[in-house]
Amino acid sequence: MDKLLLLAMNGLIWGLIIALIALGLAIIFGLLDIINLAHGDFFMVGTVLAWATLQSTGSFWLAFLVAPLIGFLLGALIQRVVIQPIHNVAALSIVATFGLSLILQESVRITFGPTPRRILPPIQGTVHLFGIDYEVYRLFAAVVAIAALVGFFIFLHHTRLGTWMRAVRHDRDTAIAMGVPAQRVYILTFAIGFALAALGGVVAAPITTVDFRGGVDILPFCFMAVIIGGLGNLPGTAAAAILLAFLEGLISSVADPTVARISSLVLMSAVLLLRPQGLFKGLTR
Amino acid sequence: MSEPVLRTEHLTKRFGGLTAVDRLSFSLAGGRLHAIIGPNGAGKTTFFNLVSGLLSSDGGRVYFLGRDITGLKPHQISRLGIKRTLQIKSVFPQLAVADNLWITAQAGERFLHPFRPATRDRGTREKVERTLEQIGLSALAQRQAGTLSYGDVALLEIGMALISEPRLLLLDEPTCGMSPAETERAVGKIRELARVIDIIIIEHDMEVVFGIADDITVMAQGAILASGSPAEIAADERVREAYLGREEDADYVEEEVHA
Amino acid sequence: MTSAVAIERALLFALAAFLISVPWSIPALVNDFWVSVIAEILIWSLFAASVNLLFGYVGLLSFGQALYFGFGMYGVAIGISDLGLSFWPAFGLGVAAAMAMALVTGIFAVRLTWHYFAIITVVFSLIVYFLALSNKWLTGGDDGINFTLPATFSLGGKSWSFTDATFQYFFILATVALCFWLMHRLIGSPLGRAFLAIRDNDVRASLIGLNVYRLRLIAFIMAGFLAGVAGALFAFFGRYASASYMFYHVSGDAVVWAIVGGAGTLLGPLVGTTIFILVREIVSTHWEHHSLIVGVVAILVVMFAPKGLVGLWHEWLTRLTERGGAAAVETKLRTEP
Repeated sequence: MDKLLLLAMNGLIWGLIIALIALGLAIIFGLLDIINLAHGDFFMVGTVLAWATLQSTGSFWLAFLVAPLIGFLLGALIQRVVIQPIHNVAALSIVATFGLSLILQESVRITFGPTPRRILPPIQGTVHLFGIDYEVYRLFAAVVAIAALVGFFIFLHHTRLGTWMRAVRHDRDTAIAMGVPAQRVYILTFAIGFALAALGGVVAAPITTVDFRGGVDILPFCFMAVIIGGLGNLPGTAAAAILLAFLEGLISSVADPTVARISSLVLMSAVLLLRPQGLFKGLTR
Repeated sequence: MSEPVLRTEHLTKRFGGLTAVDRLSFSLAGGRLHAIIGPNGAGKTTFFNLVSGLLSSDGGRVYFLGRDITGLKPHQISRLGIKRTLQIKSVFPQLAVADNLWITAQAGERFLHPFRPATRDRGTREKVERTLEQIGLSALAQRQAGTLSYGDVALLEIGMALISEPRLLLLDEPTCGMSPAETERAVGKIRELARVIDIIIIEHDMEVVFGIADDITVMAQGAILASGSPAEIAADERVREAYLGREEDADYVEEEVHA
Repeated sequence: MTSAVAIERALLFALAAFLISVPWSIPALVNDFWVSVIAEILIWSLFAASVNLLFGYVGLLSFGQALYFGFGMYGVAIGISDLGLSFWPAFGLGVAAAMAMALVTGIFAVRLTWHYFAIITVVFSLIVYFLALSNKWLTGGDDGINFTLPATFSLGGKSWSFTDATFQYFFILATVALCFWLMHRLIGSPLGRAFLAIRDNDVRASLIGLNVYRLRLIAFIMAGFLAGVAGALFAFFGRYASASYMFYHVSGDAVVWAIVGGAGTLLGPLVGTTIFILVREIVSTHWEHHSLIVGVVAILVVMFAPKGLVGLWHEWLTRLTERGGAAAVETKLRTEP
C-alpha cells in the first residue's frame, strides 16, 4: 500500500512537471503547426543548464532564472533562423526539428560528456505525509510547477502578448488584419515553448538524471498529453499530462513500467482515431 | 423527360449557428442548362458541395436520376456521373497538363494497373489529345499545371470535366479570373457541352448567365429566392432588389426585360 | 528534352556498371570492408525508398517505417532460430509479416492525414517497440537474437550462402535492384499516377472518382513490403535482429535520407542513404559525433534545397538542356490578344 501511495504521488508530481513541458509543445504545435521532435531535448537542455549553473555558481536557485532565459533566447533564435523560412511547408519542419534534436543531443554529448550525472536536491530531507516519508524537494517541485502553470495561464489571458497568441491561434488572418504582428507572435511562441521545457528541466533535474538522452523519453509523453488533452486545448493538455503520469505511476506499482507506457500509447491511438479533438472537450478556451 | 436529373428535398446544412443551406428543394429537368446566381454567402457553393459529397447534409435528401445519393462519398458520386469544378480552381499542380487529363480519364476505371506504363493505353491517349485541342491547351500539354495562368487552369479544369464523360456537370464560377477572350471561348465550350450534357453553373458574370442559361435559380441566404426563365428572373422585383447597386448587372437585367 | 533523358540514362548505366563491379573494383581501390558497407547502403536505401514511396509519391509522411523493417527482420530471425526454417521460407515469413502488419496498422493510420498520420505512425511503432522490449523471451529486447545463416541456394553438392561475401553482395544488389525497378514501373503506371494525383490534391482526386482511402492503404502496404524486404535482408546480412531497430530514430533517419536525397525521385533514397552512411563510416573513425553532421545537413537541406539533391540535379539538368527549346514555346503562346 505504501509503495502504491509513493508511486502515485510521484506520478502526480511528475505529471505536473510534464504538464509544464507539454504546454510548451502544445503552443508550438497549436500556433505554428509544427511537430517539434526536439521538444524533449529542450527539456534535456534545461536539466543540463541546471547542472552547469550549479557547477559554476554553486547555486541551484540561479538555474531557475538562467535556464528558462537561455531557453527563451535559443527558442527565439531557432524560430527566426530555421523555422521561419520553411514555415509554409509542414513536412519539412518536422525534418528540421528532427535535425535540431540530433544537433542538441550531440552538442550536449560533446560538451557535457556521455555519462549521466545526478544533482542533489537543494532541499534535503523528508516529511511525514499520509503515513509515508516523502521527499520535501518533490513537494517543492510540485509547488513550483503549479505556480508556473498558473503564471502561464495568467499570462495567456491577462496580458497583451498572451491575447495576441490566442488571437493568432484562433484565426490567424483576422488577427493580422486587426494589427497583431503574427511573425513576432510566432517567435514568442517558440521561445516560450523552449523556456517552459527548460524550466521543467530545471525543476526535474534533482529527481531525474542529467543525461544527453534525457529528452528521448519525455517527447512521446508530451505528445500523448497534447493529443489526449486535445490540440488547442491548453488546460486539457495540462490535465491530460497529470492524469497520464498519475495513471502510469499507478500501473507501474503492479506491472512493468513498459506496460504502463504501452497502455498510454494505446489510449493515445484510440483518441487520435476516435476522438481527435481530445478527451477534454468541455474545457476549451 | 419526366424524371428530373437532379432533385433535392429539404436539403439543409448548418455550420455552427449559421444555416448555409436551408431546406432547399431544387429540381433540374434534363436537357437544360441551369444557372444558379445569388449574392456571396447565399449557399451556392455549399449546395454544390452537398450534391458532390464533399459535405454531409444535416437534413434532406439528394436524388440523381431517381437514385438517392444522400450520404455517398465523393468518389462514389463521381463514378455515378456527377463531375464538378471547384470555385477556387484546383487541379494537380505538380503533374503536367496532359497528365492531369490522363489521370482524370483513367480514374473511372475499375482497376488501376500497377505495373503497365500508363501511356500505353491508346484509347486514352487519343481522348487526351482531343480534349487538349478542345480546350485549346495543346501547346501547353507538357507544362506543369501549377505554372499555368489562372485562366488556363480554369480551362484545364473544364477539360478535366469534359474528359471524364459526365452525366451531370456542376461548374462553379468557371469564368472567374478569365480574360474576355478566354471567357468567350469558355462560354462557347459550355454552350456546345450543354447540347449533350446536363449542366448546372454557378456564375457571377451576368452577361454569361443571361447569354447561355435556359433556367435561372436565384439563391439568397441558403434558400431559393426565385426560379424561372431568364426573362421571368429579369422582371422579378425581389431579384432586382437583391442586385440593387450593381449597375453593370442592372443593364443586362434591363435588356432582358425589354428583349 | 531528349538530351536530358539521354544523359540520365547514361548515368544510370554507369551506376549499374559500377555496382556490378564492386566486389572486384573496391578491394582493388580501397579494401574489402567497403564492399560490405556498400551492401549495407543498398539495404538501407531500400528502407529509405519505403519512406519515399509514401512521402514523395503519395504525400504521406510516415515516421514509423522502422516497425515494418523490424517485422521483416524478426520474421527472418525468429523463423530461422525458433521455427527452424530455411532461407527462402524465412525470407517469405519476414516479408509477409511486414505486409500483414502494414495492412493492420494502415487500416487505421491511413484514415488520418498530415500531422496526425505522422504522429500515429510513430505511436504504433513505439507500441510495438515496447512490446518487443517487454517480451525478451521472443525478441531478445535491445540485445536481440543471433542466429546462424542457412544456405540460400543448394544444388547438388554446391551451396551458396551469405557467408560468401561476394554472393552476399550480389544477392542484396539483385534484390534491391529488383525492388527499385518495380517502383519505377509502378510510378509510370495508372496506379502510380493515381498516387501522384492524391499527393497533389486529394479533394480533386476524390472528385474524379478515386477512392483516396483505399489507394493510400495500398501504397502503405507497398511501403511495408519494401521496408520488410530491407529488414529481412538486414537480418541475413548481420545474422541478427534487435528491437532497437524499431525505434523512431531509425524511422527518422530514413526520412532525412529520403528528403536529402530527393523526395519524389526514384534514386533520391539511394543518394541520400549513401551520403549519410558514408559520412558515418568515414567520420566515426576519427570523431564519434557524426550525428551532429546528420542534424546540420538535414536542416541545411530543408532550408536551402527542399527538393533534395536529386531534385536539384533534375532542375539543373532540365534548365541546361531546355534552354534552346524554351524560347520556342514562349512565342507560340502569344496568339492570344
